[in-house]
Amino acid sequence: MKRVKKIAAYLFLTVASVISVFPLYWMISAATNNSTDVLGGRLLPGLHLIENYKELILQQNVGRSFGNSMFYSCTLSLLSLLVCSIAGYGFEVYHDKRKDTVMSILLLAMMVPFAATLIPLFKLFTGLGLQSTWIAYILPTISTPFLIMLFRQSTRTFPREIIEAARIDGLSEIKIFAKLYFPTMKSTYAAAMTVTFMNAWNNYLWPKVIMMSADSQTMPMMVANLSAGYSIDYGVLMLGVLICSLPTGILFLILQRSFTNGILGAVKG
Amino acid sequence: MRTSGRTSKRLTINQKYSLTGWGFLAPAAILICVMNFYPMIQALVLSFQTGIGNNLQFGGLSNYARLLKDPVFRTALVNNFVYLIIQVPIMLILALILASVLNIKDLKGKGIFRTAIFLPCCTSLVSYAIIFKTLFSYDGYVNTVLMNLGLISERVNWLSQEGSAKVIIILALIWRWTGYNMVFYLAGLQNIDDSLYEAAKIDGANAIQSFFKITVPMLKPTILLTTIMSTNGTLQLFDESVNLTGGGPANSTLTMSHYIYKASFEYNPQFGYAAAMSYVIFILVAILAFVQMKVGDKR
Amino acid sequence: MKKKVLSILMTAMMALSLAACGSTDNSTAPAAGTDSQPATAESVKTEAETPAGEQTLKVWCWDSFNVDAMKTAGAMYEAEHPGVSIVVEETLSKDIQTIVQTCAMSGQLDSLPDVFLMDDQVFTKYLQNYPEVFADLTDSGIAFSDFAASKVANSVSGGKNFGVPYDSNTVIACYRTDYLEQAGYTVADLTDITWDQFIEIGKVVKEKTGMPMLTNVQGEPDLLNMILQSAGISVFDEDGKIDLVDNEGLKEAMEVYMTLVKEGILQEQVDWSGYQGSINNGTVVGTINGSWICATIMSTDQAEQEGNWAVTNMPKLNDYAGATNYSAQGGSTWAVCSASKNYDLAVDFFKSTWAGSTEFYDSILTDLGAIATYLPAAESEAYNQKSAYFNDEAIYSKIVSYGGKIPTVNKGIYWTEEKEALGIALSKVINGKSDLDAAIAEAQSTVEFNMGQ
Repeated sequence: MKRVKKIAAYLFLTVASVISVFPLYWMISAATNNSTDVLGGRLLPGLHLIENYKELILQQNVGRSFGNSMFYSCTLSLLSLLVCSIAGYGFEVYHDKRKDTVMSILLLAMMVPFAATLIPLFKLFTGLGLQSTWIAYILPTISTPFLIMLFRQSTRTFPREIIEAARIDGLSEIKIFAKLYFPTMKSTYAAAMTVTFMNAWNNYLWPKVIMMSADSQTMPMMVANLSAGYSIDYGVLMLGVLICSLPTGILFLILQRSFTNGILGAVKG
Repeated sequence: MRTSGRTSKRLTINQKYSLTGWGFLAPAAILICVMNFYPMIQALVLSFQTGIGNNLQFGGLSNYARLLKDPVFRTALVNNFVYLIIQVPIMLILALILASVLNIKDLKGKGIFRTAIFLPCCTSLVSYAIIFKTLFSYDGYVNTVLMNLGLISERVNWLSQEGSAKVIIILALIWRWTGYNMVFYLAGLQNIDDSLYEAAKIDGANAIQSFFKITVPMLKPTILLTTIMSTNGTLQLFDESVNLTGGGPANSTLTMSHYIYKASFEYNPQFGYAAAMSYVIFILVAILAFVQMKVGDKR
Repeated sequence: MKKKVLSILMTAMMALSLAACGSTDNSTAPAAGTDSQPATAESVKTEAETPAGEQTLKVWCWDSFNVDAMKTAGAMYEAEHPGVSIVVEETLSKDIQTIVQTCAMSGQLDSLPDVFLMDDQVFTKYLQNYPEVFADLTDSGIAFSDFAASKVANSVSGGKNFGVPYDSNTVIACYRTDYLEQAGYTVADLTDITWDQFIEIGKVVKEKTGMPMLTNVQGEPDLLNMILQSAGISVFDEDGKIDLVDNEGLKEAMEVYMTLVKEGILQEQVDWSGYQGSINNGTVVGTINGSWICATIMSTDQAEQEGNWAVTNMPKLNDYAGATNYSAQGGSTWAVCSASKNYDLAVDFFKSTWAGSTEFYDSILTDLGAIATYLPAAESEAYNQKSAYFNDEAIYSKIVSYGGKIPTVNKGIYWTEEKEALGIALSKVINGKSDLDAAIAEAQSTVEFNMGQ
């Protein structure tokens, strides 16, 4: 009986995994085939990767889009982690009634749909002449209630005694955060980094509106352009999609252990 | 004297800490105010104005009155709710089952399964929309396979029929987000003490009984969190509508956010009207979150 | 502590806004400078002599076909003007429109390139809504009389010229002669006919070859619009009001379209690549579209298609007063951004290529099959050469001769909304979701709704 159950579990997981991975496998294999083979239903990897790549860089400025996306996403993630972790730490360690009220007000921002703030934000940034700049890309999403909450919840697992002891040793509050809290909370930072970087990299609606110049184009915008052209080469398109998915995929694979632990710390509270 | 001196000193220390706390959370709070609340207020003001482009004048509630008469907005609203009602429960239940199965002790290769199921989450929204669009296109892989298997005699225009286009968007959403929610449940499950399950077993409960009697109640806060997040996300759907179906055929997959984008940037711009529509989304999200929290509390 | 943090924040924000102000100042300066444009007719001459520093002209256009044509022009100009480089960036037509709109609304025109391509069908709309985006070319010295008058009209507002006409929008009907032959027809049978006659022929062809006569992208009312314009039917009246309900011409045109679909004479494709594929893979007999479709037809991998294509005019609406066999579809016009710091360079560039060089037009015609509306070019030999691909016929001069017979229609600023509404009406009727009158009424109310703001 137990055995049957186990086999059923394996079967279920295998089916789920295959369904999850198949479109990704198909994308990778399509990136190495020419358009005719892709449409012909070829599933095996082909020999057209280099040709597709040459065609892709001929059609689109891949280097620029990739560089832009990398720069915007890294800057945004780092700043976001800094700002939100300090805030989450601040809310938990120095918490009092008034700060709790502020926190619940900030949480309301979670419900603000982006479509609602889109037009005023657009007017704000273009009014300042900041369109097509990295500042416009990152500023709206540096501080997010989700991340502040994640850090606040996780801070509960950080022992108060360490803070007390450090204060007796004469460490300043900022130093306690930087030298003691930061290294201890690595897995929370890893989880936050994964989520933030993914969101930053995949951001589409806001950049579509505010990043007007071709010089500020990002990877998702480039891929969307590839698919909207008059004659679509599916091998080239899928290679674009693949390149667009690599950074987030690699980041997840590197950080995945800490990622789960980090989410765990947050859910615990 | 002595004691009072001490208290005043402690007070200043506490005050100092409190001030430090304010300092720590100030950047985040100010950013949220400037980037979320301030635009929300502006959007509210905008929603009372009518006109094309920048030629706006005060129009009172006329934009909201207009909403009631707009068949396209009604279509988009219904579409959003169809996605919400069908997709969110299926996805969350699937994620919960996957997490529970992955939580079974002495199961080998959990890491690989977990990674595989989470991987779709790494693709960007634009990318996965394009992958699905290509798979389900007229000359796409799905048609080729079904033809070869003899299940269909003629290629099907999946994305240009109302029903199937909606189904594909729902399938795509489930594919993309199930793994993400599963991770939250996995984390939550690790907080449940094994002894609870052991005790239930001794009492003669089977796996399904302990799932409903232990797992679901213990995970309630996490389930609530993921429900609110998914509801919020579904009501704000944009990328899928734009890149997978373009809102078509005949607006049958158009979402509210996509319509707002069109009204602002593709048509002759109607910012006031778009702002009024966005307030409808805000109010819906807020109401649903409130209801979910209430329901979550009662159970 | 609080004060410290706050003060840091304040300084940061002030620095930020200062930086922002700085860049606004920079951008308004050149925009203000463009006010003095009418005087530039003289300065153009000096401009050609003083390409002292490095100068770059940035151009946006869509589709590799247009990109290649612009690059050809750029290369020609660069060869004669050292230090000048013409940079062409591919940007989707839809994106250009969105960006023009967003830039105009925010008053930040410096995100736009010096030169950009605009779809003829929406040029009027943008010109009326955002005149400040487009540089006035009236007194630039560009000879607009060298272009087909109906084409120039797309970019004229208040008697002033705002664009350099580019590719031809003349509608042609292209058919595979080998398929027609199998059904016992020649191209002559399809020339100067009505839609009723076309449908009869289409039924026979479908029966004998199993192939549909035409192909079109579903949900796109392109063919419908071509039929409308061929009979001079406007969907907007003179006051710019939408006129769909009780528009007999529209109803008749939609009925023709529906009959075509119902009889299997017209096959609808999911998207543009399906449309292109149906032509290139030889699964349809022909297509009706703007003459730029020739480039698509010639891009096939199937060698046997060469010499088996013929060009003729489109069918006309049966007994509608004013019906002709000629129409317009697509086409585009170059615009110069008013904020461009290189106005003089742009004008000189156009004068030496797009609006002044028959050799240039010959070369894009021969290499790319790009048919323009530059009249002097039509007299050149390249235009009279016989095309081996199209039955050894001089199709280019034929197309130019069609161009003069196109009826004009009113296009309002709500053209995008109208096009979308008609597309939805068509798909609803074809999917059986709604009858013709109801669908037209719904389209009318949708457009009116959008105009009501």
